[in-house]
Amino acid sequence: MRRDAAGRVAGRTWLAIDLPGALGLTGTLLAYLSLSSLVPAAVAVGYGEPVWPFLAAGGLAGAVGLGLHGLGRRSPGPIGFREGYFVVSLTWLLAAMYAALPYLFSDDPQLSRPVDAFFEGMSGFSTTGASVVLSPESMDRSLLLWRQLSQWLGGMGIIVLALAVLPRLRIGGRQMFESELPGPEVNQLAERIRDTARRLWLLYIGLTLVLIGLLLAIWLTGLDDAMSPFDAVSYALSTMPLGGFAPDARSLEGFAAISQWVIAAFMVLAGLNFALLYRAIVRRRLGVLRRDEEARLYIVLLGVGTLVVLAELLHADIASGEDAVRQAFFQTTSLMTGTGFAITNYVSWPTLSIMAMIGLMFVGASAGSPTGSVKIVRHLLVGRMLRRELRQTIHPELVMPIRLNGQVVDERTLRAVLAFVLLYVGTFIVGAAALAIDARFSNVNIGVTEAIAASAGTLGNVGPGLGFAGPMGSYAPFSDVSKLVMVGLMWIGRLEVLPVLVLLTRGYWRV
Amino acid sequence: MRIVIVGAGQVGSTIVEALHAEHDLSVIDVARDRLEAIAYRYDVRTIEANGASRKALQDAGVDKADLFIACTSRDEVNLVACSFARIEAPKATTVIRTSNVEYIELWRAGRLDVDFAVSSELETAYAVSRSIGMPTARQTDVFARGQVQIVEFDVLDGADGTLVGPPLREARLPPDSRVLSIIREDSMTLPGGEDSIRVGDRIVVIGSPVAARAWAALLAPGERPVSDVVVYGGGQVGTAIARMLSQQDIGVRLIEPELARAREVAEQLPRCRVFNATGVDPDFLERERIGRAQAAVFAIKDDAKNHYAATLARVHGVRFTIAIVHDPVSTKVYEQSGVDVTINPRGVTAEEIVRFAHDPRTQQVAMLDGDRYEVLDITTQASSEYVGLRFGEMPIRGALIGAIVRDGKALFPRSDEILRAGDRVIVFTETARVADVERVL
Repeated sequence: MRRDAAGRVAGRTWLAIDLPGALGLTGTLLAYLSLSSLVPAAVAVGYGEPVWPFLAAGGLAGAVGLGLHGLGRRSPGPIGFREGYFVVSLTWLLAAMYAALPYLFSDDPQLSRPVDAFFEGMSGFSTTGASVVLSPESMDRSLLLWRQLSQWLGGMGIIVLALAVLPRLRIGGRQMFESELPGPEVNQLAERIRDTARRLWLLYIGLTLVLIGLLLAIWLTGLDDAMSPFDAVSYALSTMPLGGFAPDARSLEGFAAISQWVIAAFMVLAGLNFALLYRAIVRRRLGVLRRDEEARLYIVLLGVGTLVVLAELLHADIASGEDAVRQAFFQTTSLMTGTGFAITNYVSWPTLSIMAMIGLMFVGASAGSPTGSVKIVRHLLVGRMLRRELRQTIHPELVMPIRLNGQVVDERTLRAVLAFVLLYVGTFIVGAAALAIDARFSNVNIGVTEAIAASAGTLGNVGPGLGFAGPMGSYAPFSDVSKLVMVGLMWIGRLEVLPVLVLLTRGYWRV
Repeated sequence: MRIVIVGAGQVGSTIVEALHAEHDLSVIDVARDRLEAIAYRYDVRTIEANGASRKALQDAGVDKADLFIACTSRDEVNLVACSFARIEAPKATTVIRTSNVEYIELWRAGRLDVDFAVSSELETAYAVSRSIGMPTARQTDVFARGQVQIVEFDVLDGADGTLVGPPLREARLPPDSRVLSIIREDSMTLPGGEDSIRVGDRIVVIGSPVAARAWAALLAPGERPVSDVVVYGGGQVGTAIARMLSQQDIGVRLIEPELARAREVAEQLPRCRVFNATGVDPDFLERERIGRAQAAVFAIKDDAKNHYAATLARVHGVRFTIAIVHDPVSTKVYEQSGVDVTINPRGVTAEEIVRFAHDPRTQQVAMLDGDRYEVLDITTQASSEYVGLRFGEMPIRGALIGAIVRDGKALFPRSDEILRAGDRVIVFTETARVADVERVL
């Protein structure tokens, strides 16, 4: 019998991940994303501001992307389920760095330090809206628009966007799609994931255009003296992804009531599941919203939050009449959906309201929306699991499947939800502790509440914290270490914890 | 009438028993022993073959059949056999037995090419729900879209004195009702005005739904409506029962020993509470207060386990027990040990199928007391000798007219009323006289 000289047993595989393939795909995504710098470049031309920071940033990102893309040619085949986590995590990290480049290249003193620029970039793409900029008014218009645009791109997801517009990527399954789009499940709108992604983006673009139109109408009719066409575009680009960056240090405080109401209404809208919104708006089946349990709980929680804050505001005599209602509703919506806009500096509100604000940061809006945090559907499922545990204490043999909208949710999904909530809370605690400890070493004056708010605000992609990092303040006073911790929190929060943490396990990399 | 029957199991043999005297039957089955059992007892042709084979059906002469019944325990075989029969004998009426609710729904929607589909599970569930709706009733059947009910009652101690004791002529019977039969120690009488009901009798009553409930109330005063039922066994039958009861807003607790199945049932029935337990664990029974349930239905697949569970539940205090029997012999065992109602799924299925074998004018048939008595729902012909007679003057020949349906409305005739041609009459008779009754009406 003849045998090959090479033998049958191959050498041991140490790395179980197709690294060239994963890097290649990441490079492809980055290269396409680099084209987005052309938008602020055009704006810069229009306003007569320096164009080169955007072109340089785009060029650099494009070059790096193409370089990585070249690596991918060495990959043996299409990348699989396992590489997906790495691709998603790395893409978002690189996207934040790419977003930071124009800030660095411009000569704006507020963002001249790499850590600050990276923080701002991650805050943008993760739709957090936490800022180290104290006075955005003094920044270039083109740079401000880039800041808003990064949120808008990050809102519906870079990969979802890539799936929607790019020629066939070498991605087969929906796993990457799902790890990026917030929420435990995606209601499929079409047979092909590409069509689903396309529809979600079209709806997103459509709603953004409607909001721009409404704000422009407010400007044209002179209902709000503070509104300008630039503001209309900026706030729309920040409202739809539930971001929170504002081209004004005082956020929306200076606007008239009508603008604030319109923006609040669109925050509520953007906090709904987009798949559901698509059915309701495009297919004209409004009933789906009324029947959906998550949407119902979302509205109920918004109502309860508003009432609690309103009672406190009236009782403490902070505001009255329509003003009180608007403040309570706007701030509740803004914090719960993870937007982070403010129409008043609530840092000075009484204790109960502050606690409500912090609590709301852990609620989030619906799954399938650009929100951050835990999200309503997980609260709903955890609540039902707890109710089941209580009932099974008395009736140990009782078999109780948990349902969502009448559909049974399988136990594996429930376990994932529970794991998510625990990991989320764990990450939040570690983050808050890290911030508190680092503050002591770097002589930053923050207390427990501020550490908690900063950790919850960045992990939940909400934005503003309390104290100096409040809605009218900035994160600039934090040390570099704290800022990097918060960059990590925003990254982990945007990708829903698991895809990032799974990379930290040995089993991910090894056979 | 030529009838081809595929399947010689319990359902098949029950059908053969009911039909062999009047019709020409061919029975097809794969099992020789089942066919032999039938061939020795009845004068029918038996063919040992696969009913889903077209050749076997041709050999059985299906092309000359007037009625084709597929009643094996396998849905697919029944469906295939029926579709072949449809090709060979397009004019024959086809009947299938199925355990799949989906097929029943398809048939109701007219999307399944069979004339009649019967589900053991569904029929059993109907029977259980009728019993629970009327706890003192042994058996209930409905006619004319529910306008007429025939109910078999046990007369127990404590029954109302104006009803039990005096001759029927003087007793205050609920309006729109009539006593069809009094069964006393295995002998049945078609009662006249001088007969009376005694404690210990079993009676068959026909009447409107209101009257049936009035009878139930008079025979067992103080009985309350059932709203808390425990169902043992989450198989297809148990699930069908639980589904039907919970649709009637009756609280159902279902006990299923196998975890995966329990989970499946719980997923199918959101309004039911499903327990993963054997149901014979005293701790469990105590903890869940099973003894305080108003009624318990036993639908475990194994008759012996079912019997044990039923007895244990009675020990724990359940007062109203309904058991599903699989082997006809078990019926006596259950009744001996005090189970209140027994239901044989194959029996009710056969009964439902046999309705089709009768005179085409006959709309519905119920079998009482095993199959010794039948209730027919039949339309009178103009040539009938009974047309034009007063009800009081009709000769009684082992049959009794309990109700008539005229212009779609049910009437419970008094003795001076006259039968008209075209009336649908609901007749109670011995099985042996069915053909006679059909001839004279």
